[in-house]
Amino acid sequence: MIIAVSGGKGGTGKSTVAVNLALALAGLGAKTVLVDLDVECPNDHILLGVELGPAKPVEAFLPFIDYRRCTRCGACAEACQPSAIIRSRDGLPFVVPRLCIGCRACLYACPSGAILEGKRIIGSVHVTGYEAGGVAIRLVTGMLREGEEHAMPVVLRAREEGLAMEADVHVLDTAPGAGNAVAAAISGADLVVAVAEPTPLGAHDLDAILRLARELGVEAWVVVNKEGIARADGVAEVAERHGTPIIARIPYSGAILASYLSARPIVLHSPGEPGAREISRLARLVAERGGLGAGGG
Amino acid sequence: MRSVVALELVVASGKGGAGKSTVASALALHLHREGWDVIVVDADATAPNQHLLLGASSWERVERVEGPGVAVIDQGRCDGCGKCLEACPFGAILKVGERYVVNSVVCEGCMACALVCRAGAISRARSEVGVVRIARTRYGFTLVSAELLPGRPNSGKLVAREREVASELASASTVVVVDSAPGIGCQVIASLAGADMALLVAEPTPAGLSDLRRVHRLTRHFMQPSALVINKSDISREVSREIARYASEHGIDLVGEIPYDDAVVESVSTMMPVTEYRPGSRAAEALSSIASRVEGILRGWRAWSEEHRPKRPEPYIPEIIRPRGE
Repeated sequence: MIIAVSGGKGGTGKSTVAVNLALALAGLGAKTVLVDLDVECPNDHILLGVELGPAKPVEAFLPFIDYRRCTRCGACAEACQPSAIIRSRDGLPFVVPRLCIGCRACLYACPSGAILEGKRIIGSVHVTGYEAGGVAIRLVTGMLREGEEHAMPVVLRAREEGLAMEADVHVLDTAPGAGNAVAAAISGADLVVAVAEPTPLGAHDLDAILRLARELGVEAWVVVNKEGIARADGVAEVAERHGTPIIARIPYSGAILASYLSARPIVLHSPGEPGAREISRLARLVAERGGLGAGGG
Repeated sequence: MRSVVALELVVASGKGGAGKSTVASALALHLHREGWDVIVVDADATAPNQHLLLGASSWERVERVEGPGVAVIDQGRCDGCGKCLEACPFGAILKVGERYVVNSVVCEGCMACALVCRAGAISRARSEVGVVRIARTRYGFTLVSAELLPGRPNSGKLVAREREVASELASASTVVVVDSAPGIGCQVIASLAGADMALLVAEPTPAGLSDLRRVHRLTRHFMQPSALVINKSDISREVSREIARYASEHGIDLVGEIPYDDAVVESVSTMMPVTEYRPGSRAAEALSSIASRVEGILRGWRAWSEEHRPKRPEPYIPEIIRPRGE
């Protein structure tokens, strides 16, 4: 079963819910892989308090031009949608690595075999083991290299590596917003858990993520986080408009903040705390929905 | 793309929910009240919020922005070879039964698929990625905002267009306050590239510090002088001190700290900047003092920017693996 934890607005608690949900599912006996797809600012390892495992580079295609073969026909530059290949006045093509999205269109377009396959490292994927309190999960983290702007290939690669690991449940932690990196994360999931904070801004951005989930044909559940900081009317109204249930309400508490600061996930370190109990209840609902059965799969 | 504006200031944080929008709206309002000509650019095209905070009730102008288009497969011509699926670098082509179809939400329009299709079955269709729009806020200054259609690529392109629109509307004395998206990807790079300074907002948590370091790496790439605000500073005195130490080590000007204050959340719920909603609150007072500090930076721009520009150039260098035989 694949569960994507998303929510639109930044800072609503996606990572907190994803990390604790993964641990709670593992606590029910499900073999769980957590995949951090917020590749611009991945934080799940920080919440778990672990050092990332070794980096596997994520490479993207980068064209090099074999000027002995190049006939200056311009086909490569014409095929390059982001205009990463520019031509000098006499028609010689040059590559601007920063703009290249690694799509290989130039390679396919060149009639004279003058495009050579180079590569650029745009990020990394890390596999990290985590074990505490008799619960073990594996974490797969996608990390965009600072200065690279194209997050998509790193998201796709981390997702692929995470899903290739055998597990009963894959929990995907997505980036904020509702752009294409979030769409790629959600696409093909069995369930989206949309974490919203009870403010008008939270409601506004929840709407975008629920629209995206509907467009991608993925069922969604809403989790209200930081319940109590403000009235949740707006969030409830958006959820109702989309016919999406509010499945859990996690109260705002100092205990969750403390666990966040100390990198001690709350479901393990204060399981009796109301927020931890609510996430554990959410985990049981998810397990039921995924047919994992009581006590695991 | 250096424009005519007096100064472009980008509010960035890496982490979501750190308080960028709160700081940006309070700053813009302060500058406006002090007589500056201000334009706010809401550069989070995937989750725009400033129109709610600044009370922009209707759009004066809405511009539809087209992307590079999306691939479309003519099923009548497709011979089912599957080369397009192999070629697509973004996983946007799916095999559904015996048919190959394009997931137009994910497709970036690179058309690599069309170039490998031997049957000539793939063509480009036009696609809208979102809108750039202009409004007058309830306080009287201009807001430029963008909204990406859910799931589409090219949010960076929308942000670049927003900054262009802002500079068209601006005069030589306008201060443009850009409220950037979370993260360090295309939207943030499109916000920072060519701007004059960054105002970084960090929350004192281990994740907040990690994300601050990542976004600060970008401002160093762009050789931008940076100022810093620590938001919710009292949720961890210890991490706040660590962030302040990081700032002083890197020549970042720490312009203030905002204590955690329920008034901020309440103000968001009433959709008003906290400095308007509860001017006497601790957070509002901290924000006013920060806005005055930033105003001081603008007045003494030359000296401040020289002092705080990164000393060591740290340009973006792609990590390249050359092909054999090159």
